[in-house]
Amino acid sequence: MDISFFKKLHDEGIIDTPEMTNIELQVRMPESVYWDLRTLLYLGIVLFTSAIGIIIYKNIDSIGHAAMLITIAALDGLCFYYCIKNAEGYSNNKVESPGIWYDYILLLASLLLLIFIGYLQFQYTFFGSSWGLALFIPMIILFIVAYYFDHLGVLSMAITNLAAWVGISITPARILRENNFNNSQTIYAGLATGVVLVAVSFVSTRKKIKPHFAFSYKNFGAHILFISLIALMVYFDNIYLLSFFLLAIISFLFFKNAIKKNSFYFLVITLLYAYIGLSYALTESLFKFSSDVGAFYLIIIYFIASGIALIRLFIHYNKILKHNASL
Amino acid sequence: MRAYSFEDLYHKFARKEVAESLRTFCISKNSYDKILEKYPAKLYIPNYFISIALGLLTFVAVLFSGLLLWLLTSASNTGSMVTLLITLAILCYIALELLVKKKKYFNAGVDNVLMTFIIVFIVSSFALQDFEFSWLLISGVTMIVALWLAARFTDGFMAIISYCSFLIFIFRLYLIAGNIAMRTAPFLIMTASVVIYLLMKKLIKSKIFSYMFCFKCVLFLTLITFYASSNYFVVKELGSELFQPQINFTNSLPLGWFFWLMTFIIPPAYIIYGIIKKDFLVMRTGVVLIAATIFTIKYYYAFWPVELEMIMMAVIFIASAYLLIRYLKEGKFGFTSVNLYASNNEILNAEALIIAQTFNEQPTANNSGLYNGGTGGGGGASGDF
Repeated sequence: MDISFFKKLHDEGIIDTPEMTNIELQVRMPESVYWDLRTLLYLGIVLFTSAIGIIIYKNIDSIGHAAMLITIAALDGLCFYYCIKNAEGYSNNKVESPGIWYDYILLLASLLLLIFIGYLQFQYTFFGSSWGLALFIPMIILFIVAYYFDHLGVLSMAITNLAAWVGISITPARILRENNFNNSQTIYAGLATGVVLVAVSFVSTRKKIKPHFAFSYKNFGAHILFISLIALMVYFDNIYLLSFFLLAIISFLFFKNAIKKNSFYFLVITLLYAYIGLSYALTESLFKFSSDVGAFYLIIIYFIASGIALIRLFIHYNKILKHNASL
Repeated sequence: MRAYSFEDLYHKFARKEVAESLRTFCISKNSYDKILEKYPAKLYIPNYFISIALGLLTFVAVLFSGLLLWLLTSASNTGSMVTLLITLAILCYIALELLVKKKKYFNAGVDNVLMTFIIVFIVSSFALQDFEFSWLLISGVTMIVALWLAARFTDGFMAIISYCSFLIFIFRLYLIAGNIAMRTAPFLIMTASVVIYLLMKKLIKSKIFSYMFCFKCVLFLTLITFYASSNYFVVKELGSELFQPQINFTNSLPLGWFFWLMTFIIPPAYIIYGIIKKDFLVMRTGVVLIAATIFTIKYYYAFWPVELEMIMMAVIFIASAYLLIRYLKEGKFGFTSVNLYASNNEILNAEALIIAQTFNEQPTANNSGLYNGGTGGGGGASGDF
C-alpha cells in the first residue's frame, strides 16, 4: 500500500486517525509466505507420489509385493491417523483447516490410498475382474474423506474418479483430449454425469450440506454437460436442431442462475458454449440449404457480427453483475 | 503520448489501493465508499472472466474480418498480401484508438487482442518478404511498434514483447561482427539484462504509477534473461543450434566453468537478495530458477536413478516447508507463514482444480488403464507406463 496516498486522504479528513494508524501498522506487518509454502508442500507431494508410482512400475516383477503394500499402508495409516487426530469432526458447514500441514498430509493420505488400491488390484486382482469396482471403492472413500475432513482438493479428486467410473475424463486438460465424443456412449455418459453433478451442486446449496462444495460440482458438471450437448449436435446430425433446442434450454437455465448468483464465470462459460452451439446450428443449416460462395460469405459476416454483438452483450451484463459479484 | 489521462489512471490506482486497504480491514466500509466517490472509475476494466470472453470474441471478429477482406481483395502474391496485412494492422490500430478514446477500455480483452493482432500482422507482413537481414528488421520494427503500444496504452504484455524484440535486435546486430560476436553473445545479453534491470529499478523507484505494471513485467523478464544467458544448458545447446558449423560447441563450451558457476549461483543469489530486500518477485523467480538449475545438472549428469532423486527432492521440499511453517509462525525477519487474510473462494477452487488435474490421472472404466497395463497411474505418476 502506498502510504503517501493514504496520508493525503488523512490530511483531507476522508480517513480518520485510527484508520491511518491501521494502514501504517499494515505496511510494517510481516509479509506472508503462506502460499509459497503451500506450493512447496504441493510440489513435494507431487514428487513423492510420482516417485512411488515409478518405483512400483519399475520393480513390479521383482519387488516384494507384500512388503511394498505394507509400507504404503503403514504410511497411509500414519497420515490418516494424524488427520483424524487433528480434525474437528464433521459439520454440514465449512470447517476451517487447522493449518497448511494438515491439508497436505490429508492430500498425501488420499493419494497413497489410490496407489494402494491400484496396486492391490493390479497385483492381486483384489476386486476380481470388476474394474469398475476398483474405481468405485476409492471414489466412495475419497467422497467420505472430502466430506469428513472438508477438503476441496480431495473432493475434486473424488468427482474426477466418479467421472472415470462412468467412463469419461473431466479434468480440464483431458476433457477434450481423452474423451471420444465420436461415440454415443461417451456422449450419454457425459450428459448423465453433467446432470448428476449439477443436481448435486443444487442440492448442496439448497439443503446447506457443505454449500461451499457446490462450485466444484457445478463447475465440472457444467463443462461436461455443455461439451456433451455440443457433441450430441455434431454426432446425431439428423436431429441437430433438437439437440440445439436442448442446449438452448439448458443454457438459458444456467444463464438465469448466473445472473441470480452474480456469477461472471458461469455467465461467460454459458454464453460461450451457447454461442458455439448456435454457430454450429446456423452453419449446418446454411450449408444444408446452400453450399455456394454466397453461403460462405454469409457465414463470415455472421461471425464478425455475432462476435461484436456478443461483446456488447458481455459489456452490458458486466455492468449489471458488477455489484456484489462473485466467481 | 498516453491514450489515458493522468486523472483516469490516478483514479484507477486510488481504487486499487483503497480496495487493498479494505481487504486488510484497515479502513471501514463507510470510508471506502467515500474514497470511491472521490475517485470514480473512469476506465472500463471488466471482471477478468469477462475480459477473457471479450478477448476471445475480438479474436473471432478480427480473424473473420481479415478473412473477408482477403476474399474481397483476392490477394494472392506477396506484394498484395503484404499490403493486406499492413492494412489490417492499420485498421486494428484505428479500432483500438477509437475504442480507447470513446469507451476507455483498459485491459478489457478487446484492446489486448487488438494490440496483439497489430504486432502479428506487422510481423507477418515482414516475414513474407525475403530480406537479407529479415530477423534484424522484424525484431527492430516489432520493438518500436510494441514500445509505442506499451507507452500509449500502458500495456505490460506489449512492454514484454518490446523487451524481447530488443534483445533479439541487439543480438542479431551484434552477430554481424562475426566469429568473435558468436563467442561472446551471452555476455551481450547478460549486460543488456543488467542495464535494463537497473533502468527498471530506477523507474519503479520514481513511482511513475501509470507504467508501474509495465516496469515490473520487464524487470521480471530481465531476471529470467540474465539467468538464461548465463545458464550452461541454454548457452551450449542454443549456441550449437544457432552457430553450427561456424562454431562447434558440441564437445566443450568455452568458459564452461564460468557458465556452470553462474548456473549454480544465480538462483540462490536471487532468493537471498529477495529475502533481504523483501522483494517477492526476485525471491520467487529464484525459487523457480532452482528447478532450471536442477534440470541443467540432470541433463548432463545422472547421479542416481530418477525416482531416488525425486524422493530426495520431495523430502527436501516437504521438510523445508515443515520447518519454515514452524519457524515463521510467529513472524521472523519480516516474514510469516500465517495466512494473514481469509483465502478467497476463487483461489481455493482454483487450487482444487489444479489438484484434480495433477493428481488424479485415473484411467476411465471403459478405457484400458492402469489395471490393464495401459496409460496413467495413480498418485500423480503420469505418463505412459
